[in-house]
Amino acid sequence: MTFLAPYNLAWLSLLVPLIVLYILKRRRQERLIGSTLLWEQALRDLRAERPWKKLTPQVSLLLQALIIIAGSIALARPAGAGQAPQGSRLALVVDVSASMAAREGDERRIDRAAAIGADLARGLPPGGEMMIVEASAEPVVRAPFERDATSLERALDSLTIRGARSDLEAAVSLAAERLRGSPEGSRILVLTDAAIDGSVAIDGHPMPVEIQRIGGAPLSNSAIVDADARARVGELDRADLFARVAHHGSEAADLYVTATLTGREGAIASRRVTVEPGTVESVVMAVDLPPNAAGQSPVVELRISPAEGSAPDALPEDDLAVVPSPGRGKLPVFLVGTAPAPVERVVRADVDAEVFRTDLQRLSERDEDADPLEGLFVYTGDVPEDAPPGDSVVIAPVADEVFELTIGEEARAPAILTWDEADPRLRFTSFQDVHLARLRPVRGPAARALVTTSEGAAIATVQRSNGETTVLGFDPSRSDWPAQPSFVVFFRNLLEHARARRAAGGIPSGTLGDPLRVPAPDGVEVTVQTPSGETLEAVGRGGLAVVPIPAEPGVFSVDVEGVPRFALRSLLDRAESDLTPRLEVMEGGERAEGALDEAEEHAESWPWVAGALLLLLLIEVFWASRSSERRRAA
Amino acid sequence: MSTSLLDPDFIRRLARLRLLVRRRFAGTAGGARRSTRRGASVEFADHRAYSPGDDIRRIDWNAYARLEELVLRLFVAEEDLTVYLMIDRSASMAFGEPAKLEVAKRLAAALAYIGLTGSERVSVVPFGAGADQPLPPTRGQRRVGHVLKYLDAIEPSGETSLRKTVDEFLARRPRPGLVIVLGDLLDPDGWTRPLDRLLSEKHEPVLFHVLATEEVDPPAGGDFAFVDSERGRRVEVSLDRRARQAYLARLDAFLDSIQSYAKKRGLSYVQAFGELSLEDALMSYLRAG
Repeated sequence: MTFLAPYNLAWLSLLVPLIVLYILKRRRQERLIGSTLLWEQALRDLRAERPWKKLTPQVSLLLQALIIIAGSIALARPAGAGQAPQGSRLALVVDVSASMAAREGDERRIDRAAAIGADLARGLPPGGEMMIVEASAEPVVRAPFERDATSLERALDSLTIRGARSDLEAAVSLAAERLRGSPEGSRILVLTDAAIDGSVAIDGHPMPVEIQRIGGAPLSNSAIVDADARARVGELDRADLFARVAHHGSEAADLYVTATLTGREGAIASRRVTVEPGTVESVVMAVDLPPNAAGQSPVVELRISPAEGSAPDALPEDDLAVVPSPGRGKLPVFLVGTAPAPVERVVRADVDAEVFRTDLQRLSERDEDADPLEGLFVYTGDVPEDAPPGDSVVIAPVADEVFELTIGEEARAPAILTWDEADPRLRFTSFQDVHLARLRPVRGPAARALVTTSEGAAIATVQRSNGETTVLGFDPSRSDWPAQPSFVVFFRNLLEHARARRAAGGIPSGTLGDPLRVPAPDGVEVTVQTPSGETLEAVGRGGLAVVPIPAEPGVFSVDVEGVPRFALRSLLDRAESDLTPRLEVMEGGERAEGALDEAEEHAESWPWVAGALLLLLLIEVFWASRSSERRRAA
Repeated sequence: MSTSLLDPDFIRRLARLRLLVRRRFAGTAGGARRSTRRGASVEFADHRAYSPGDDIRRIDWNAYARLEELVLRLFVAEEDLTVYLMIDRSASMAFGEPAKLEVAKRLAAALAYIGLTGSERVSVVPFGAGADQPLPPTRGQRRVGHVLKYLDAIEPSGETSLRKTVDEFLARRPRPGLVIVLGDLLDPDGWTRPLDRLLSEKHEPVLFHVLATEEVDPPAGGDFAFVDSERGRRVEVSLDRRARQAYLARLDAFLDSIQSYAKKRGLSYVQAFGELSLEDALMSYLRAG
């Protein structure tokens, strides 16, 4: 509790004269008389006739004192945690993780947080300012320090659920950084549902940090926490659909897992599964996934729905998962130039790859009106000036400039230092005992190194507007790498990655609410249709059109210069589907008990105090009138 | 004879007076009062048939001559009257200048003197907490000194309770008579019920209402904490005009209620407020007889 106008507490000093009136006795001459009988009656008459009453009843004193106290406190504008005192600043950090989309009653948690934030914005004291920080995986300042409640409310309305987990620590640090040098009384208020694994420290910052919980009622939620579609080896257009279904609640849930295809009527498979609270059940369904008339593979939608009698689901966002079809037949791989023998051998070993040999000359002579080639291009040595649409691999480039990358001078026997194990191309690979004879390091501001050596990046990747290119700055045949398992695994991963990107529409995948990063030339307008039918637009800048999207799971249809694409968004996060508050608030290295109070919308409580004041006044009036009546009756 | 209660000049004026009695009472001895019984006075009352054993001196021979029947002549009996002087001797009676108790005692002395010289039986019943034993009914002019001495010895103390006193008084089943109540009647228990009880027991109450000058006309000005001499209750009063008016209004209402009560029941009510009004009040009552 804080006071937004503490100077009004000075009215409490009225208590002093009030109490003095009660305790101060007039000096009276004591006189013994025969009987006070008539005097008592006369004084009762006097009190009844006077417009004011004698200040003797202690109940009255109590009521009057309470009236003064309540009035003073109401004028001082008492406010719940989070309200800023006069002239101070408030940094509001709002958790936008997926669990904040959970519905308690008719309201989503994030909407309630926004309402509380709007309440705080409207209740800003004179000179007070408020900032809004969106706590997602990477915190973002949604509104800088601002006094205008309307602007703040607009920023609050724009808060969107993000599928990724919230990094509250980072968000609080960002807010603390922005609050540096703010006047005394400034504070950080975090609004979160606390459905986060882990802890957050509220000390160590130069200003107080308060964490308030949004919601927290026991909720029942079932979720698809993992989904995949894999082709069956040797069976054309047959696939296995995998789904892992988790349930959080007090009772077991009976669920239907149903698979449908985007743009097609009817379910292709369905299973009924019972999931105990806190457990995960796996479902596997074998289905036919034939391509459509245009030869395109459909997107599979996996949806769970409660059987009759099951508790309602609190978070619909995790009830749908969309996965790309395992493939449209085989992946075309175009070997442009003379690929090193080990590379060609590995590519040809992949049964789901269809290999074509070609060269730059033939590619350049191709009719412009013909359908563009779609697949993975593997260039060895020379590369075209402009990269073709789609993904590509460049091995031992000859030119100094390759698709926005710079190729450095040749170095001998560079030592491999690190490699990015998180990249899907480097899964299960190791460069521990790999030795390169020569290397032209790959550089450039857009380059992301996958394997680095003492001379620079040996393998790097670049994301272009119309595809992704992986560049090997060396000839694998002039190294001992082909003799090691990691060589085969790397190229199989490369093919798999290209296949997945192709199936996903060529737009990088992301989790729920992640903006679409659509490759698009500068100035080109990109149109996106959300699963619920809303149309969004963005313009390409720097080779990308970034389209903010709502936190809807499903297929987002994208149109770039008439070329249709799609992007998939699913939550698939078991932790976010668990809506139970479990965040640990730490202070001084220990868990701070009771530091996670439930947030209340009416943070400023003076209207309640004013209401109490009126009630006390009514009681006082009632008391006084009843006393007069009793005296008259007597 | 106590000179503090009765001065000679006053006694001389009293000697010509008799107590006013509105009712008739049955006395215990012949006296100067008409009795409810038939007696031997000269005032004819009625005839009745002779019965053996009757006083033959009362046979109406003229009637026998006319009617040839023996009848007795009956006369109104003249018997003595018992006067009970019920004096409030509570602590509140000590106040006033002169003290209300002194006024009450002087009135009682005068009434006792008149009664005793008029062949009445006089009893004194002081009332108040811890009051002395009542003076039993006594008769004869020679007993005046004894009664005055008894009155002189009464001292103010304790709380007043007319109700309790009357209850105790009636419990002794006294012969009905004139019960003269002398006091300020400022009794929290009330005064109407005891008077009603006296009336119901065939007594004739007479009220001598004694109040001090400052009770009738309180001086204005000053902040006081009045302490009740009997109950110890404390009342803080600023004696401004409004407070004084409120008090006087209450006093008027109080006096009006007593007057109204007395008038309704045919009782004598005499106000003896302050020293100056003492003899006038007494004379007005006595002359009314």
